[in-house]
Parts: sequence; C-alpha cells; structure tokens
Amino acid sequence: MKLLSSTLLLLSLSFSAVADESKSAKVWLDRLSSSLKSLNFSTSFVVIKNNQAQPYHWFHGVDENDTQLEIISSLNGPRRDILRIGDIVSYIEPESPPYSVTSKQISGPIPAILSGDITQLESGYDFISVGRSRILGRPAQLIRIEAKKAYRYAYWLWLDQKSGMLLKLSIVTKKGQQLEQIQFTHLEVTQKLSEPLLQLQSTELPIIVDIPQQYLQQALQWQVNWLPEGFRQVNSNRHKISLTKQPVEFMLFSDGLVDISIYVNGTKEKKRDADFVMDGATVVLNQVNKGIEVSVVGKIPSQTAKAIADSITIMAPKAP
Amino acid sequence: MSENKFETVSSCVDNFQHNESTFDEIIKDEHLSATWDRYHLIGDVLRNDTPDIFQFDLSAEIASAIADEPTILAPKAKNVFTLKFKAKVVELAKPFGQLAIAASAAGLMVLGVQSNVAQNNDTILPSQIVQTIPMAGIAEPVSLNFQQPDRASQKKAYIEQQRRFYALLSDHQQQIKLGSVTVNVVDNANKNTETDTKKVNEYNK
Repeated sequence: MKLLSSTLLLLSLSFSAVADESKSAKVWLDRLSSSLKSLNFSTSFVVIKNNQAQPYHWFHGVDENDTQLEIISSLNGPRRDILRIGDIVSYIEPESPPYSVTSKQISGPIPAILSGDITQLESGYDFISVGRSRILGRPAQLIRIEAKKAYRYAYWLWLDQKSGMLLKLSIVTKKGQQLEQIQFTHLEVTQKLSEPLLQLQSTELPIIVDIPQQYLQQALQWQVNWLPEGFRQVNSNRHKISLTKQPVEFMLFSDGLVDISIYVNGTKEKKRDADFVMDGATVVLNQVNKGIEVSVVGKIPSQTAKAIADSITIMAPKAP
Repeated sequence: MSENKFETVSSCVDNFQHNESTFDEIIKDEHLSATWDRYHLIGDVLRNDTPDIFQFDLSAEIASAIADEPTILAPKAKNVFTLKFKAKVVELAKPFGQLAIAASAAGLMVLGVQSNVAQNNDTILPSQIVQTIPMAGIAEPVSLNFQQPDRASQKKAYIEQQRRFYALLSDHQQQIKLGSVTVNVVDNANKNTETDTKKVNEYNK
C-alpha cells in the first residue's frame, strides 16, 4: 500500500513536471512565433544537409502600415529569392519565371509553422523545454518538438533568450541522429527596416498566378488508408511532373510542420521493389506494384513512407 | 624445396595451421606462394566452387586497375550523367513549343523548367541526393558463382531511378509552394467562376 501510494505520488509529481515543461516550452514557441512576425531583423543562416552547407540571408520587418516585409535569398549557386509583402509571396528561381502567389507564409528552408500557430502541432508532437546552451555567442534555450510516435522526426530549436529568435534548428531521428540543421551565423534585431526591405517596399512583385479551381481538390480514384495522426489533406490534383513530363495523380498532406506528397501513376513495369533516397531529412520513396507506381516524398522516416505507400488502394472506377 | 615445406603450405591452405611466421615465409618465397595459389585452385575445383571465367592472377589485375584509376572518381560519373541528361533535355524541349501554354501556375513551371534546364546543367544534377538505399531483397550473393547482371542496363536503370527521384523531389517542393495557396483559392473559389476550364483540361492531357 505504502509502495503504491508513493509510486502514485512520484507519478503525479513527474506528470506535473512534464506539464510544466511543456507549458514553458509552449510559451517559448509562442514567443518565437510573435518574434518572427513582429521584429525587424537581419540574419544569415546555413542549411546543412548531405555534408553540404547552403548559406542564406533572411530579412524581415514590419512597415508603418503593419505590413510584413520579408526576403530570403540563397547565396550560393543560381539565384533563389523569396520575397513577401503582406499576403503576396514571390518566388524567384532558376527553374521558372518569377511568379507570385497569395499566401501568408513563405515556403522556404524555415518551417512556416514557426511563425504561425504552433497549437495545431499538439496532436502529433510534444513540446519539451530541455535546457540552456550557448549558440551564436548568446545564451539559448533548447526546445524540442518531439514526435509522439516514431512515424515522424523531431525538431530541436535553440531560441535566443533575449529576443526569442531562432538560433539553430535540427531535424533529428528518434535515435538522435541529426539529418538536417539550420545554423544561424548572424542575427541583428533593429528598430528600423533594413536597407533591402526598404528597397523591397518600392519593388513591384511579379504577377500573381491564377490557379484554376479545377486544378485543386480533384476527386481521384484512389485513397490513402494510413497516415500518421494529425495529417490532413491539403490538395489533390492531376498534373505533370515538370522534369519528366510524367502525368501523375497527386495528393498533398500536411500536419502543419511536415508536408507529404503522394504520387500515383500507371507504368509499363509490373513490379519494382521499394527504393528510396534521402535528401537531408526528406525521403523520396518509389515502388511499383501491379503496374501502379506509387511515390511518397516528405520529411518522414523511410519506414513511414513505405507504410503510407503500402496503404494506398485503388478504388473501382464508378459507373458513368 | 623440401617436401616438408609443401606439406606446411597444404596444412595452411586447409586452415590447420595458424602460424604468422609460416605465412610470412610462404609470402616471401615465390615458389611457395605459387604452390599456395595452386593448392587453393585445386581445392576450389574439387569443391566445384570455380567461377565461369578464370582469372589466375586477380591480385595483379587489381593492382594495375588501381594504378590506372584516376584520383577522383566522382566527376567522371557526373559527366556521364550530364551528357545523357542533355540529350534528354533537347529531346524534351523540342516538342514543347507546340504545346499551348496554360495559364495555370503549373503550366508556367513546366515552361520554366524546360527552358532553363538547357542552360543550368548544374542545377539538374542530383547532387543533393546522396545515397540510394535499397529497401529489401538486395542482399547479393557473395559466392564466386554469382553472375554480374548486365552492367550497362544496371547503370541505365540507376540513372533512370536517380532522375525519377530528383524530379519527384523538385515537384514536391513546387507543390508545397502552391499547397500553401490552396486554402485561399478554395475560399475564393465561389468568386472566381470564370476560370478557364478548357486550358486546364488541355494541360491535364
């Protein structure tokens, strides 16, 4: 009896400790989100994956009309810039002529959810405040966004204690192996807008592409029967893969932090075993079964991708 | 050469003797090491463990191959890929002009990629993709009997697979950018009744 009660006491203690931790972690993440939205900052960071480092500049500011201005540019190789004025995001890339889309968030190296509402991650992840360390010469707080189950990777964030800004981000497997890292190399928080943002203010952004409604949310003749908890469908369509011109049926899922693309198409091959490559944390898995080719792409473990691919069933075509 | 020494070699071949100095002696003596080779060959023939093609001096072969090897291997493979890819790109780019340009974002993207690919070979190489990890059933037999699958077709399949992976990866990134728009567009869907159905259908063909 005594043993039982003491165990209970211990359990409740540890529970409250966990609750405290996650609460304080949540506070940190909320602070990060508001810092990313409201501060004028100029930063540089490098994305480290596949033994390569890709450097970026990142400027953000809020002008007198409360419009957010943002620039992320890749510094090595061909020009890749992402510009944002308010709800218009422009992508300048070597693959395509510059174009703009209407969106409140940039889809770039920094997960967009960090400046959004972190609460929607709670179904799939635990937030844990771990401890302090020194990053970029500043005292930093380590917050872990840990996947509740092994189907996903964990995200470790090091946040500046002074400004709440992101200083470092790691995508880590359940076993603790780091797959991808974003390390900030410079951070300056200013009162006024930085020079590139002032220039951006007077820049005319490329035209906004009009995505026809028919291109979105099309009904497809197959379904995904298993996905890790918390993923919801963002889009489904038929399109051609730009590089190979392969027509595919496509679904995009997201849990807020991670995006998973699923491609289904017919092929001449009867069967090909699952094969995959890793680009940092992003897995590209591809298999052929009964003449149907299925591909899964996203920042998920290969086993998860395999399970998703295996769960896809083709529905019998409806009678016209 | 004494009979005794040959007997020692024989017992070494049969794994009965594990003496470092004996091995050293065999390696140093040309005659004995030839005997060592011969005994192994006899053993292999007896065990029916011989390869289809005999290569009696594999070590010399390997040594010369290493000597011929360029210091850096990677760029060599890269060139092969670039060349093949270029040919493909031209092939793909030709019929493109005949296609109607759809006003959809995806249409723009196809155009962009097609026209830029030819100039920026660097961006096409799947340099980001590090390793291909076969998932199941790829454990290859280590026996000498194992027949190598046709090298050329293997390489072709590999390049094809790498290309497929890279195309998927870049399409995934593109779709995410559009995916963040989806919600807005669906919200605005009722307002935009004049969207061009015909063009989309054309695109989807």
